[in-house]
Amino acid sequence: MAQSDGEQRSGAPRDLHLTEVSKRFGDFVAVDDLTLTVPEGAFFALLGPSGCGKTTTLRMVAGLEDPTAGTVSIGAEDITGLKPYKRPVNTVFQSYALFPHLTIFENIAFGLRRRGVKDVKRQTDDMLRLVQLEQYGGRKPAQLSGGQQQRVALGRALINEPGVLLLDEPLGALDLKLRRQMQLELKRIQTEIGITFVHVTHDQEEAMTMADTIAVMNSGVIEQMGAPTELYENPRTTFVANFLGQSNLVSTDVVDSSGSTVIVDCHGQKVGVDESRSHTDQGKGWLGIRPEKIFASQRDSEDLEDGNQLTGGVVSDVSFVGVSTQYLVRMPWGQELMVFEQNTGQRQSFKSGDEVDLAWSPQHSFLLDADQDAAAGAVREDVG
Amino acid sequence: MNPSATEAVNVTDKPGQRRGKGWLLLVPGMLWLLMFFLFPTVQLFFTSLYDPSGSFEQGYAMTWHFQNYADAIKETSDLFVRSFLYAGITTLVCLLLAYPLAYAIAFKSGRWKNVMLVLVIAPFFTSFLLRTLSWQAILADQGPVTGFLRALAILPDDGRLLATPIAVVAGLIYNFLPFMTLPLYASLDKVDHRLIEAAGDLYSSPFTGFRKVTLPLSMPGLVSGTLLTFIPASGDYINAELLGTPREYMLGNRIQSAFLVEQNYPLAATLSLSLMLLVVVMVILYIRRSGTEELV
Amino acid sequence: MSKPLSSQVSRRGFMRGASLSALAVGGSGLLASCGTEGAKVEEGSCESTDKSESEQEVSFSNWPLYLDPIKAKDTSTLEKFEQVTGIAVSYDTDVNDNLSFKAKVAPQLQACKSTSRDVFVLTDWMAAQMIELGWLQELDHANMPNVDANLLDSLKSPSWDPERKYSVPWQSGMTGIAYNAELTDPVTSFQQLLTRPELKGKITLLTEMRDTMLFMLLMQGADPEDFTDDEFSNAIAELQKYVDNGQVRRFTGNDYTDDLKQGNVAACEAWSGDIAALGNPKFKWLAPEEGISLWSDNMLVPNLAEHKTNVEKLINFYYEPVNAAKLAAWNYYFCPVKGAEDEIAQFDKSAVGNPLIFPAEDMLSRGYTFMGLDATQDKNYQAQFNQVQGG
Ligand SMILES: Nc1ncnc2c1ncn2[C@@H]1O[C@H](COP(=O)(O)OP(=O)(O)OP(=O)(O)O)[C@@H](O)[C@H]1O
Ligand SMILES: [Mg+2]
Repeated sequence: MAQSDGEQRSGAPRDLHLTEVSKRFGDFVAVDDLTLTVPEGAFFALLGPSGCGKTTTLRMVAGLEDPTAGTVSIGAEDITGLKPYKRPVNTVFQSYALFPHLTIFENIAFGLRRRGVKDVKRQTDDMLRLVQLEQYGGRKPAQLSGGQQQRVALGRALINEPGVLLLDEPLGALDLKLRRQMQLELKRIQTEIGITFVHVTHDQEEAMTMADTIAVMNSGVIEQMGAPTELYENPRTTFVANFLGQSNLVSTDVVDSSGSTVIVDCHGQKVGVDESRSHTDQGKGWLGIRPEKIFASQRDSEDLEDGNQLTGGVVSDVSFVGVSTQYLVRMPWGQELMVFEQNTGQRQSFKSGDEVDLAWSPQHSFLLDADQDAAAGAVREDVG
Repeated sequence: MNPSATEAVNVTDKPGQRRGKGWLLLVPGMLWLLMFFLFPTVQLFFTSLYDPSGSFEQGYAMTWHFQNYADAIKETSDLFVRSFLYAGITTLVCLLLAYPLAYAIAFKSGRWKNVMLVLVIAPFFTSFLLRTLSWQAILADQGPVTGFLRALAILPDDGRLLATPIAVVAGLIYNFLPFMTLPLYASLDKVDHRLIEAAGDLYSSPFTGFRKVTLPLSMPGLVSGTLLTFIPASGDYINAELLGTPREYMLGNRIQSAFLVEQNYPLAATLSLSLMLLVVVMVILYIRRSGTEELV
Repeated sequence: MSKPLSSQVSRRGFMRGASLSALAVGGSGLLASCGTEGAKVEEGSCESTDKSESEQEVSFSNWPLYLDPIKAKDTSTLEKFEQVTGIAVSYDTDVNDNLSFKAKVAPQLQACKSTSRDVFVLTDWMAAQMIELGWLQELDHANMPNVDANLLDSLKSPSWDPERKYSVPWQSGMTGIAYNAELTDPVTSFQQLLTRPELKGKITLLTEMRDTMLFMLLMQGADPEDFTDDEFSNAIAELQKYVDNGQVRRFTGNDYTDDLKQGNVAACEAWSGDIAALGNPKFKWLAPEEGISLWSDNMLVPNLAEHKTNVEKLINFYYEPVNAAKLAAWNYYFCPVKGAEDEIAQFDKSAVGNPLIFPAEDMLSRGYTFMGLDATQDKNYQAQFNQVQGG
């Protein structure tokens, strides 16, 4: 198996392909017609709320679950029907699943021994060094801290140099500080070894800091896939807009979609959205603006030439959070919009009841199909 | 494995300086042991050294007659061998039967788990004696099992099951199977299914996964199950008495008749203690070998 | 591995505990390290009180198949006794053989404690032992006029209780051979029982040494009423042979009837009355060619039994010929009561002259009683016999 890995790697790229994969548990559809490609060597994050099917997807890649339909392949090789132990795939389990009766050394050497690899000792020592656990080889898992156990789980999978490494919320159990540290470490190891990581998380910050590509999953389907900035700046669905960061979504009517800036009517006030960020061109649409992209100014004090402006807001709530001040501004049509002002000291601050206008540049907003629920993905677990 | 690791272990294992009155917790257990183990054992030890020429009627004089041990063991060595042989076979067969059973209950029984567990312990609702007596009926020479085996020519026409070593060992197996099954089940039930998946993920075929993960993790249950079977089986006499003939009699039969029929207390005590000692030695060797102390 | 907890206990505390236990164990050890007293209870040292006046009850331990069914309405002799006297009898068939019953009650009797039984039935030689050990209460013949009037003369004064001060026979009987006519031809001698190849593994012998060894001695040409140690040892060696070659399936107490009924056993050493009481004509009993073993089982009242007077009434009741006849007509053992034969004619003509109940002279003339043994002989022989039984 190890040899065939090598051969394959030198030939065609060992991309991971999921093609029209579905998984049903009885009537319940856990993964629905999912298609995605993870390029070889990529750090790919699968992001989504609890229960959306992330673990199920990973388990199908690992072979621990059989897809109801569709195929899984690595490079040109279809592995859909392959038993887990025959796949060039290893998993770092959400719960680590370290073998309690084996030492750390033996845990890490486990895969090598099963494959009958020769220089187990050297490779395992190297791996212990890589995950910085050289002096812990003789201990049992129960004698390690959570972070150390996590590194054992990682080393145990990595040492096999799998075509694809699956990580199922490996950092979920760690406290914030350790999690940040481990995120950096994971990223370092991935860069060093250069194998494909598929990293499952429901922490959007984690996904954005680590991954080259993020797929946002919801109810068994992938809502959007792309680079972190792409997903953040130009979400295609309300779910993504709300799940990644926060968004103000305002109901509008498309007035003119012929130019490079789509003009929409927002409760009587006209604003523009870059065409590349408009995902609808007629009828109603959700205008999306990130709170930190909005400038608030005293009523009628500023007049932006080519910016967007909504006037007539009244500050209804102010919360000071250090680096920024968060305002809630009640608009004439009753909706409250969120505005984050950086505390640079350059800009005026407001208090409740102040009348303000809101401004932003057309490249900083996006327009979404009005058929979707504006609140999709907004209610999330509190992360971190 | 390497010296720095052992050091590291000791760091986490600080002896409790502040334990203070903790030893009080040992008192009930100590008293219990004293009353129900140490006290009778010491009594038994003294009894085993009585003058063998005494009798129940005339009384036994204490003559510190250590020769009793040599005499008794010489006289009953075949019984010792047979007891350990039967107990060993019983333990082995129980293990072979109970492991798949416990495995199925722990991993495959789904919502039938509780029903199956109740079935395993159901025999305990009737007395040991009654159950063994009903085996007498099941294995009777004119009974259904014997008839069936004769019809299949597995048994010769004048062959029988009852009053043979097979019946005795079968009775032992039947009676001690739950003692093997329950600890095994308890151990297997604790095995995290995800560990087995992890083994599969790490290139173990189902069989290798079993050998390298499930089996070692079930060792505590396996060891206690074999002990719970072997120890009482080697001292049992009911099965040999009811299902066997004098040729199948085990040490327990001799002890019971020495105690309860002959009232030859020194002999009975000598044999009891010798059996106990031998079993303890075997258990220690066994635990050493199986290395259970190291298991989590 | 952590250190054992005990090493973490303060030394002083532990030592205190340890010395305490050493003391206790030492104490107990002193008890046992002196050896045991004899089992004999000196006369006058274990007096019983009789509560028969206030407690109308009797607790009775007997052998199986020895009393007509208690459940049978109107015919049960025991029920009749209860009705006539108003004494409630609690009846147990917990005597399976003499030695194991003795072992059951010995711990109490040797320590002068109550056995919770008012009367039990044991064979002559065991009755003799218990009288010797001082474990029994003396019976008051004034309460049992029927015994004095009706006890067969031949049973009136055995050597071990010449005045019947402690014992009154319940029934007498013979030990011989029983066989299942559906499974085997008649087995007419012990020789056949132990050597016929088709009986291999299909016979049982009794755990009663005196019964079984009596036949072994006869087979050896020795006289069971007068034999030597060597003769006994030879007989034991002979017996061992049949155990080793698998001819003998088991040694049993009164439970031999189970194997016989289940068809596991084709022939066995058996007590005369049991087979008739089984009530199935396929089971036959016969007197072996070598001879028969004769014995009586006796009602005995142990020390500290609290209803001796009630027991005496019970004994008196069963010595009324009509009651004795009813009993004998059911259990088919020798009836020790004069006049019972006349009574039996009233209701069961077939039983009249039945040799099992009223033995003919020529049968009795072939009978043997086992030689009386002193304690040393008894122990020695019993040990040899147990050795054979114990594999
Ligand atoms: N074996 C199963 N039988 C039935 N339903 C299942 C099974 N496994 C998963 N599901 C369901 O499938 C859905 C997806 O589960 P999955 O474990 O993939 O979620 P997830 O995205 O990993 O969630 P989390 O972030 O909480 O781990 C859930 O609704 C779950 O209840
Ligand atoms: Mg999951």
